[in-house]
Amino acid sequence: MRMKAIRIFLSRLRALFTQSKANSELDEELETHLDLLKERFVAQGMAPEEALAAARRQFGNPTLLQQRHREARSFMFFSILWRDVAYGARLLRKNPGFTAVAAITLALGIGGTTVVFSLLDSVLLHPLPYPHSEQLYRLFPLEGKNKRGVEQAPYADFLDWQRQTRTFESLAAYNGESINLTGTAEPERLEGSAITPGFFATLGVTPLLGREFRSDDAESVAILSYELWQRRFGSDAGIISKPIHLDGLAYTVVGVLPPQVPFRSMPWGTPVSEIFVPVVPNPARNWHSVRVLGRLATDVSKEQALAEMNGIAAGLAKAYPDSEQARSIAFEPLAQYVVSDASQTVWLLFGAVAFVLLIACTNVANLLLSQGAAREREMAIRMAVGASRCRILRQLLTESLLLAAAGGAISAALAYWAIPLVGRIAPPFSSLFSRLEDAHLHLNWTVLGFSALLSVLSSVLFGVLPAWKATRTAQSSLAASHRMYRVRGGLVALEVALSFVLLMGAGLMMKSLLRLLDVDVGFRTEHLLTMDVSLSDAKYSTAAKQAAYFDHVLQHLTTLPAVVSVGVVTDLPLTRNETRNGFEIPGPHLVQGAANYHAVSPDYFRTMGIPLLNGRELDIGDSANSPLVGVINRSMAGKYWPNENPISKSIQVYHAVVERTPEGEHVLFKPHLLEIVGIVGDVRQLGLDVSPDPELFMPYDQWPAQEMSLVLRIAAEPSSLIPQVEKQIWRVDPDQPVTDIKTMDEWVAREAAERRFILLLVGAFASIAAVLAAVGIYGVASYVMRQRTHEIGIRMALGARGHQVVWLILRQNLTWLLIGIAAGLPGAFALTRLLERYLYAVRPTDALTFALILLAQSAITGVASLVPARRAARVQPMEALRHE
Amino acid sequence: MDAKKSEVLQGTLDLMILKTLHALGPLHGFGIARRIEQVSQEVLQLNEGTVYTSLLRLQQQGWIVSHWGTSENNRRARFYSITDLGQKQLTLETENWERIAGVIGRVLRLERQA
Repeated sequence: MRMKAIRIFLSRLRALFTQSKANSELDEELETHLDLLKERFVAQGMAPEEALAAARRQFGNPTLLQQRHREARSFMFFSILWRDVAYGARLLRKNPGFTAVAAITLALGIGGTTVVFSLLDSVLLHPLPYPHSEQLYRLFPLEGKNKRGVEQAPYADFLDWQRQTRTFESLAAYNGESINLTGTAEPERLEGSAITPGFFATLGVTPLLGREFRSDDAESVAILSYELWQRRFGSDAGIISKPIHLDGLAYTVVGVLPPQVPFRSMPWGTPVSEIFVPVVPNPARNWHSVRVLGRLATDVSKEQALAEMNGIAAGLAKAYPDSEQARSIAFEPLAQYVVSDASQTVWLLFGAVAFVLLIACTNVANLLLSQGAAREREMAIRMAVGASRCRILRQLLTESLLLAAAGGAISAALAYWAIPLVGRIAPPFSSLFSRLEDAHLHLNWTVLGFSALLSVLSSVLFGVLPAWKATRTAQSSLAASHRMYRVRGGLVALEVALSFVLLMGAGLMMKSLLRLLDVDVGFRTEHLLTMDVSLSDAKYSTAAKQAAYFDHVLQHLTTLPAVVSVGVVTDLPLTRNETRNGFEIPGPHLVQGAANYHAVSPDYFRTMGIPLLNGRELDIGDSANSPLVGVINRSMAGKYWPNENPISKSIQVYHAVVERTPEGEHVLFKPHLLEIVGIVGDVRQLGLDVSPDPELFMPYDQWPAQEMSLVLRIAAEPSSLIPQVEKQIWRVDPDQPVTDIKTMDEWVAREAAERRFILLLVGAFASIAAVLAAVGIYGVASYVMRQRTHEIGIRMALGARGHQVVWLILRQNLTWLLIGIAAGLPGAFALTRLLERYLYAVRPTDALTFALILLAQSAITGVASLVPARRAARVQPMEALRHE
Repeated sequence: MDAKKSEVLQGTLDLMILKTLHALGPLHGFGIARRIEQVSQEVLQLNEGTVYTSLLRLQQQGWIVSHWGTSENNRRARFYSITDLGQKQLTLETENWERIAGVIGRVLRLERQA
């Protein structure tokens, strides 16, 4: 059997090159045959013409035969394809209006999907930039009875895991670390990581120059990223063993990394680490200080690794029952951790854009159906002269493919322009942003290939129904036009349903964003400039030195004429930072509470515009030598003193002090008694969408801190003052970097960034969908109107009025609209649940949004069907009747 | 159309042509058509063009080959002849045909008895 197939194949292959010869030979053969037949009939006594006719009858159709032979002889596929392509192209050129509308519609659908796929490609398909990254895992402890996953592990635990594991080839620990690069012309704050020896071996990265850390290294060694080495050290090949200054201390460079191996200490938009220093050991088993990374051995299953980790955890629980009792170990693929919630975002967008593509395909299918009606004669003739149904189907599908190819080509151009744009509006401080940046989001071959595949797929999607319909009508020659209306009405209803779901999604996102931006943050966000200052251990080793630095900076800044007031605070609102700590209310019943601790300058509240509700603000009199005082916010007062006045009550607070010993860092919590002197209004500390927490503010003179944020209220446009502000700060210490200089409005914008990003894309898709649906409704309405011209003529001849005719068409479309919305409703509820994470203060079943969108869609449908309806109403009865 | 004439069964034309070429040696298409007409004693209704489709099929399978020659009345004509492979195929298909025909015959007789 196979031999036979091969022989046929070879003979056809030969025929490819001898096509024309074979054709003429067959012609000759058939002609001879016919002649001989004719001669035979003549010999039997027929007249010559009669004989020829009889011969033809007996022989059959030579043209058809010739064609069958050609098909059997060769790979007909190609030559037919070529003919169909040429024919299709001619047809498309002849109908530029139709071609343009269809191609642009498809380009919007395919282009949008391509853009979202490029995000999906970068986020999910692009591997981490390390060799065999699928073997990399993140290990973390589970704590307590309910096994809550904790991001970081105690360093001492990590050492035990590392020593005991056999299933992991290697384990390493790291943590984020911001370091000031000093001793150069311009001090700079660098984002980096503290890492353990073997960290890069675990990642699979070999330093370009030098080596990575060893266990016998001193504390003050550093590894530079390739980019930092280029940027700040001029790619100095002799950098190894040279000293650099970090936080005012001399470090020795031991290695430089190769380019293009970005590592982030946290996946949520934390900048790529540019500098690496050793992790400072910490013996405390209750101090979660490091993130743990492991490379699973190649021949080990996840189950084996989990079993081993359970064993290790059990051993530790036995050895250290105090701290390890309720702790177990879990791990997840590093890729999953790095992608985190970005996958949810891209799938959401992918779902939304798939709807747009479906609507586009439905629209083009509808256009082709209209065209098919116009081509009924052509099809009928083709079939009458012997074209098989299959052949016509193939030709029509080739035309669809051509149309899709045109759409695909435009969409590639569209994607080339739109992909970088989407990359730019991606919300910073999200894992999506990190992934897009690390994968260098651009129009790559994978994305182009996907786009091509999508074009082919959509050509089938929109082409099959019209092609099938076209061959059927041609066959039955009489169009079953009523069934046709129903099919097309169904398509319109489908479009309405799909666009309704998208519009609902966009509407809900819009409402969420408006609600979010309308949240009362508790202070006046405009005209505020903020920045961070992180004092180094070496230079500012004592509390007095730290306080003195900020005193001086505040003094210098207030001399600027445009500066209304200045404050400092440890954690600015809306920056998603908090320092949560416990406190106790002494008394007959000891109450334990928790609050966010802040160290602030007395002017902080006035600068921010946070109102004082009761008692007094902090003032300069509250110095290092006077009794410890604090101001609490309304939430803290309400939570812990619901029925009494907290003013002049005392609470026990704890000051975390890090002590360095030969064993490593020890964290001690020192108790202090503090008197509450005032209550201020609530602010949104952790984010616009997070309700206020209890907050406790203490004067920075009494509660010194190394890392503080400065906030300035400025009478002018805040960012215009940045150079002067920097100059004033550097007058105090020219070696001290000032980082993250932003206006408060930028922080607010950042808060809304993720939702805004999703709203922008979903909104864009929903708008395209609505426009496409309107075009679809218009197209079908005008088609129906043309088909019913005759009927309308009769109706008008019998006395129907213009508005009755308009209503006739309008009613039909509104029916489709209602069917579509009814069908879309459950879909909308189901799909907007996916949105729930991004919604704020809006339920997925928000009635107002629903009503508005229903109204908008009705209006769109009304306008789209009114144009053809009014044309119908102007039909002259006589003309319409003469038409047929 | 003559009601007594039967359509040529699908696939049997190939077998008939093979047998014809086997029995009579090289023939052109017209000759094959005449021979089948003669043998079938006007029982079979043959669209003579289909002979050529069958010939192409047989050629592609390598069961027959063709060459150009001169016909009885001095016309250029393509002559077809059976190959060794075709001979084997003929034997195979003949056996096959007889087996099937036998079975069908038996079945039909059975029906009459019942």
